Amino acid sequence: MAFISSGYNPQKPMEGRITDIGPHKYDSMFPPIIAKNFGKWLYHEILEPGLLMHVAESGDKAYTVRCAGSRTMSITAVREVCDIADKYTGGFVRWTTRNNIEFITDNLETAKALKADLDSRKFAAGAYKFPVGGTGAGISNPVHTQGWLHCHTPATDSTGPVKVVMDALFDEFKNMRLPAPVRVSLACCINMCGAVHCSDIGLVGIHRKPPMIDHKWADKLCEIPLAVAACPMAAVRPTKVEFEGQKVNSIAIKEDRYMYCGNCYTMCPALPIADKEGDGIAIMVGGKVSNRMTFPKFSKVVVAYIPNEPPRWPTLTATVRKIVDTYAQHARKYERLGDWAERIGWQDFFKLTGLKFTHHLIDDFRDPAYYTWRQSTQFKF
Amino acid sequence: MKFETPLLDQLEQGPWPSVVSDIKQEAAHRAANPDGLDYQIPQDCCEDLLGLLELSYKDMETHWKHGGIVGVFGYGGGVIGRYCDQPEMFPGVAHFHTMRVAQPSGKFYSTKFLRQLCDIWDLRGSGLTNMHGSTGDIVLIGTTTPQLEEVFYQLTHEMNNDLGGSGSNLRTPAACMGMSRCEYACYNTQDVCYQLTEDYQDELHRPAFPYKFKFKFDGCPNGCVCAMARSDFAVVGTWRDDIKIDQDAVKAYVGGEYTPNAGAHSGRDWGKFDIQAEVIDRCPSHCMSWDGQKLTIDNANCVRCMHCIDTMPRALRIGDDRGASVLCGAKAPVVDGAQMGSLLVPFVKVEQPYDELKEIIENIWDWWIEEGKNRERLGELMKRASFQKLLEVTNTEAQAFHVKEPRNNPYIFFKEDEVPGGFKRDLADYRSRHQR
Amino acid sequence: MADEKEIIVEYFKSKAKTKTKHYFKDFLELFPDKKPREVKKILSDLVKEGVVDYWSSGSTTMYGLKGLGKQEEVEEGEQPKD
Repeated sequence: MAFISSGYNPQKPMEGRITDIGPHKYDSMFPPIIAKNFGKWLYHEILEPGLLMHVAESGDKAYTVRCAGSRTMSITAVREVCDIADKYTGGFVRWTTRNNIEFITDNLETAKALKADLDSRKFAAGAYKFPVGGTGAGISNPVHTQGWLHCHTPATDSTGPVKVVMDALFDEFKNMRLPAPVRVSLACCINMCGAVHCSDIGLVGIHRKPPMIDHKWADKLCEIPLAVAACPMAAVRPTKVEFEGQKVNSIAIKEDRYMYCGNCYTMCPALPIADKEGDGIAIMVGGKVSNRMTFPKFSKVVVAYIPNEPPRWPTLTATVRKIVDTYAQHARKYERLGDWAERIGWQDFFKLTGLKFTHHLIDDFRDPAYYTWRQSTQFKF
Repeated sequence: MKFETPLLDQLEQGPWPSVVSDIKQEAAHRAANPDGLDYQIPQDCCEDLLGLLELSYKDMETHWKHGGIVGVFGYGGGVIGRYCDQPEMFPGVAHFHTMRVAQPSGKFYSTKFLRQLCDIWDLRGSGLTNMHGSTGDIVLIGTTTPQLEEVFYQLTHEMNNDLGGSGSNLRTPAACMGMSRCEYACYNTQDVCYQLTEDYQDELHRPAFPYKFKFKFDGCPNGCVCAMARSDFAVVGTWRDDIKIDQDAVKAYVGGEYTPNAGAHSGRDWGKFDIQAEVIDRCPSHCMSWDGQKLTIDNANCVRCMHCIDTMPRALRIGDDRGASVLCGAKAPVVDGAQMGSLLVPFVKVEQPYDELKEIIENIWDWWIEEGKNRERLGELMKRASFQKLLEVTNTEAQAFHVKEPRNNPYIFFKEDEVPGGFKRDLADYRSRHQR
Repeated sequence: MADEKEIIVEYFKSKAKTKTKHYFKDFLELFPDKKPREVKKILSDLVKEGVVDYWSSGSTTMYGLKGLGKQEEVEEGEQPKD
């Protein structure tokens, strides 16, 4: 490999440097129908799963075909998306906040042809590349994080569990037959880069064992005061230990204060946190961000731990499917999963889903815990 | 392929798009090298990545380490350092850093832009991306340290595009698609997002905050970019006047000519649309009535939850006196538990040049930079220092809408200037009335 | 501004034995009379001059003297000194 310079001169980094320019302006890459009718939309309708129609004051109709992409996407796939957009939608395409890809055209026939085309594209091994769907009262594309593919503190993988869960829920992505939208998200540790704390179904990687301390390397690899300062719980402290007959500077961890944010490992690779027996997934349900009918709300933990079972996480997928099916069977039209659970009471949520309630599901974290206990004689036997 | 991946291969089965199949496709592309590129990072990096991931599937543990590298020269964010912990086995991903690329708000692209980006990343990176990262950036996954400046140079010089944020700074702001294709947009989410991103470039690239800070802009209370749940400063569209009603269209919904809820429930037979049960009775503030002919809304009691509009979008429209509410302090759970944004400003007009919003933002920043502890999000500072303090620094008068209910304890700390005569008292005067 | 820069560099050196990276807030305390924006300007200048470097945990950012610290060497592929 010969180094190919872009024009950048490392000896003079400031020479001709362009900084602080931000992104392209939002309207610089609009499809013509969007540019023309910006701010002048009247109403919309989902004609069929994955096909939306937006009607403007001008009478123009924008047809949008929505399909899933995988959030982790190769440039080969992005180039394929470009080929599709060039062929059908004048070289324009957009992404949604939930990793869906949207192609917009002013022609219904084009949209239908595009939809059929997208649904016909498969990888050699058989999975769809760009399945159409993700609209209305169904399950849209999950928001998720990097997992074992590229993160240093994950308690589980991301693209794998998302793949197998969505394989199990694929019909709900392709259809609109649930009582309301169900948003599924996955974060590979409790830092929740994927912000799953307000999802109808949030899958969260959790660690259960505090880090090991590599006394041999701690002082060599890390600045111990930085690892200490990084702990939000003051659970990490500096110490001196005997190691192979020598006194060395190292780290001690107060295990009952440790909360698994992984900041210490970020700062100090001599504090490995990953553990095949310790790590796994918790399931949280009933959160939402919309203000529709009820206030936005947080997801609640209903399964404290499911072990990692790669490659296809059968316990996880069966549990999620069970929750979705029970909700679909019992909730009223328009009722989000959390609204349903609150209407029937969480007691009945456990009864209907068959999930076992355990002591891990009772909040014991600081002040807010108290407000989740039952201060009433009203309950069901 | 360089490695057998029997575990990962099982993720190629089933209908949902397979990332494993996609990475294999990229690996094959790099091996074939149809454009005859002189790849600037190992040609087989995708194969090494699959090998490493297979190892994680076997070990059930990650093989990545964090690195402190932050960005390109002069920037304190935009790059996340990654190193693999088995570099001898997988040299192609030994150094495999992430770059965050600023996305246009609303994420509308031309294929010209995307292809240009792909070409840069083909030559100088792994060819793998996230479309998009959770905060909203385009994420380029996997390159070596020497390529960071080269990618940045090409991005800025050839594509006129910047990096996004990471670390203790303003993170790449994000907006819903707003007025570009949504009739519910109460303000131009994309424009304010773009403008503030431009105005606060220094805050975005040169970290001087206690921790991360996020703006998100939702055009209406449906909240498609999750501003209230995910941003320290959430701007959520709303309106102050009446919902506009087209009575003929209401009748068309009742009569079954229009599909309720914009067709979102068409996959199941829910029976005939029942406006009383599905709309009137579900209104959270019970401000609607239907007499069989006419829909009436008591707008003074409307809390603008969007349910009736979502259900009958052809009959009901958002009002004309539009703007946004501002909610502060949302964050994910670490450390002190998850927080939802709390309502600070009930209504603000969101219009160029957005000075009113910027004044609130800058007041908040001044307070947070001064008072916030290291790694303390705004929401946590609000909890520690009190909501009253937030009101004070933003010159906001306390109003009943700020709370769900008043406090249920009388531990009220009046300030000295709030009590007549202050805290200095005349003991002699007191003693003239009371014995010791 | 030369004096202020000197103060910052001296601060780094005086702490280098225990830690080489510091939060932005630490520098505010060096200049109690200056507004955060002014302190940021000094640090940004030092970065531009190649004297100071950022260090990031991904979620937070710290400042350090360029080339100083245990992680730098390791990250660029060298083995830590045994």
